[in-house]
Amino acid sequence: MKVFVNGYGFLGKLLARELMDHRVSGVKLVGVARSSGYVHRDEGLSPDDLKGDLSDSEVFTKGSALSLIREGAFDVLVELTPTNLPSAEPGLSNIRAALSNGIDVVTANKAPIALRYRELTDLASSAGKLLLFDSTVGGGIPLITLRRLCMRGDDLLSIRGILNGTTNYILSRMQFEGLTFELALREAQNLGIAERDPSLDVNGYDTALKLLILANSLMGLDRGLEDVRVAGITRVTQEAVAAARESNMSVKLIGSVDGEGKLLVAPRLVKANDPLCVHGTLNAVTFRFRIARDLTLIGHGAGEPTVSSLLNDLHQVVEFRLRGATSA
Amino acid sequence: MKQRVRLTCALIDRPGTLLKVLEQIALAGGNIISIVHNREIITSGYVPVSINVEFPDPQSLERARKGIEGVGVPVMGAESLEKEMAMAIVVGGVRLDSLLSELESRGYRVIESSTRGYGEALTVKLLMEVPADRISKLHDDLASIAERHGALAISEV
Repeated sequence: MKVFVNGYGFLGKLLARELMDHRVSGVKLVGVARSSGYVHRDEGLSPDDLKGDLSDSEVFTKGSALSLIREGAFDVLVELTPTNLPSAEPGLSNIRAALSNGIDVVTANKAPIALRYRELTDLASSAGKLLLFDSTVGGGIPLITLRRLCMRGDDLLSIRGILNGTTNYILSRMQFEGLTFELALREAQNLGIAERDPSLDVNGYDTALKLLILANSLMGLDRGLEDVRVAGITRVTQEAVAAARESNMSVKLIGSVDGEGKLLVAPRLVKANDPLCVHGTLNAVTFRFRIARDLTLIGHGAGEPTVSSLLNDLHQVVEFRLRGATSA
Repeated sequence: MKQRVRLTCALIDRPGTLLKVLEQIALAGGNIISIVHNREIITSGYVPVSINVEFPDPQSLERARKGIEGVGVPVMGAESLEKEMAMAIVVGGVRLDSLLSELESRGYRVIESSTRGYGEALTVKLLMEVPADRISKLHDDLASIAERHGALAISEV
C-alpha cells in the first residue's frame, strides 16, 4: 500500500520516520510534501530523500502535491497540513481530490473534518474510500475508534471534556503557581506548548473544532461552528482560579455536547474528584452512554502521541483493503 | 425517576373545580403531598392553588399537566421541589445586587456570595440552590446574565 504524507512539520517527520522503520506492515512510504515542494518515488523513498528540508533530494519537485493526488499516484493520503480557519485550505482541497481519485485518506487536520464533515464523509462513502480522522481529536487517545469499534451496541448520550492541552497547561499553572493568564501563556510559548499566535487555543476555537468532530461523527449531528457557543480563557483571572481552588475545584476549558445536541465551549468549574480534572497538557473526555454509563479517557492530546493514532488509522486502512481483496 | 414538583394552577372560584384538578393528578399517577388553596386571594375571578405532588416519572407530570388543562384549568407553573447546590464564579465588572436579583428572578436561590478583586478583575463567587430541573439551564442563564454585564460566567460542569 503506497502512502503519501502531505505536511512535513513535526508530525509529518515523526510519522515518516515510523513508516520508514516499517512500523505498519504492508505500507510503503512513497512520498512526502511540504509547502514548497515534495519528494516522490513510486518504488518507495530512500532515507536520503528525507534528509534536511527535502530540497536536497534528487527527486525533489517544487510546488504543490495536489497534481500527484489528482493523478491517483498512491493509495493513501496522510493529510497533515495546518488547520486554517475559515477556509480549511489547503487540506480541504487535498482531501476532496484524494477521495475523488480513489485514494483513502487519514488526516490529523481538524478544519476540513470539523467544517465539512457531511460533504467529505458522503464523498468517501460514494467513492467507497476510507476517511479516518481519529488523530484530529485527543492526540493519542482513541476516542473515535473506541466509540466505533468498542461501543457499537450502546447509545452515546453526551460528551464533555478537556480537548486542548495548551489551555489546560495555562490554567494548571495559574492554579498551582498563582501565575496570571499572561505569564502562564508566555511560559507555555517559551516551552513550545503554545503557538506564537495562540488565539485558536485560548479563544476556545480549537476546542470548538474538536467538539464539532466528536458531535458530528459520534452522535450523528450535523452542526457547524456557528452552532457552538464559545468562550475562551483569556478573561479567567487569578482570583477566579483561587476562588475555585478554595472550594476544591479547578477552572477548566470544557467542550460539551448534551443530549439535546447543544454545543458549548466555556471555562467551567470541575470538582477535584471528577475524573475529568486532569492537569498540565493532559486531555480528558467523558462519554456518557445509555448502558455503560460514564466512560472517561485520559491521555496526551497533542504532539508525538498523535502519531500513535495516525499509525492506528493506517492499520485500519490496511485491514480494510485486505478485507476488500478477500471478499473480491 | 420520581419527581417532586409544585404545580401552581389558577382555579375559577367555583365549587368542584379543585376536585377536577386532583382527579387529573391521581389519574396520571401523582401522589399529592400537600395543597395550599388560599381562597382569600382572588385575582380576576381566579384563585391560585399550589399542589405539591410526587410523580413516578416526568411523563406522568406531563400527563397530569395536559389533563388539568383539558378540564379548563390553566397550569401556571411546575417547579421542581428537588434542589441541588451549585457553585459558580462571575468575572468582570458586574454589580453584585443586580446579579443576585436577576438570579433570584430566574428561580436560583443564592445561599452565599463573596467578592474579591475590583473593576474588570472583580470576581464574584456564588453558592446557589438550584431546582433539579433547572440545573442543566444554569450555565445558559448565568452566561446570558453575565454577558449583559460584560462579564464571564464560570459554572460547574
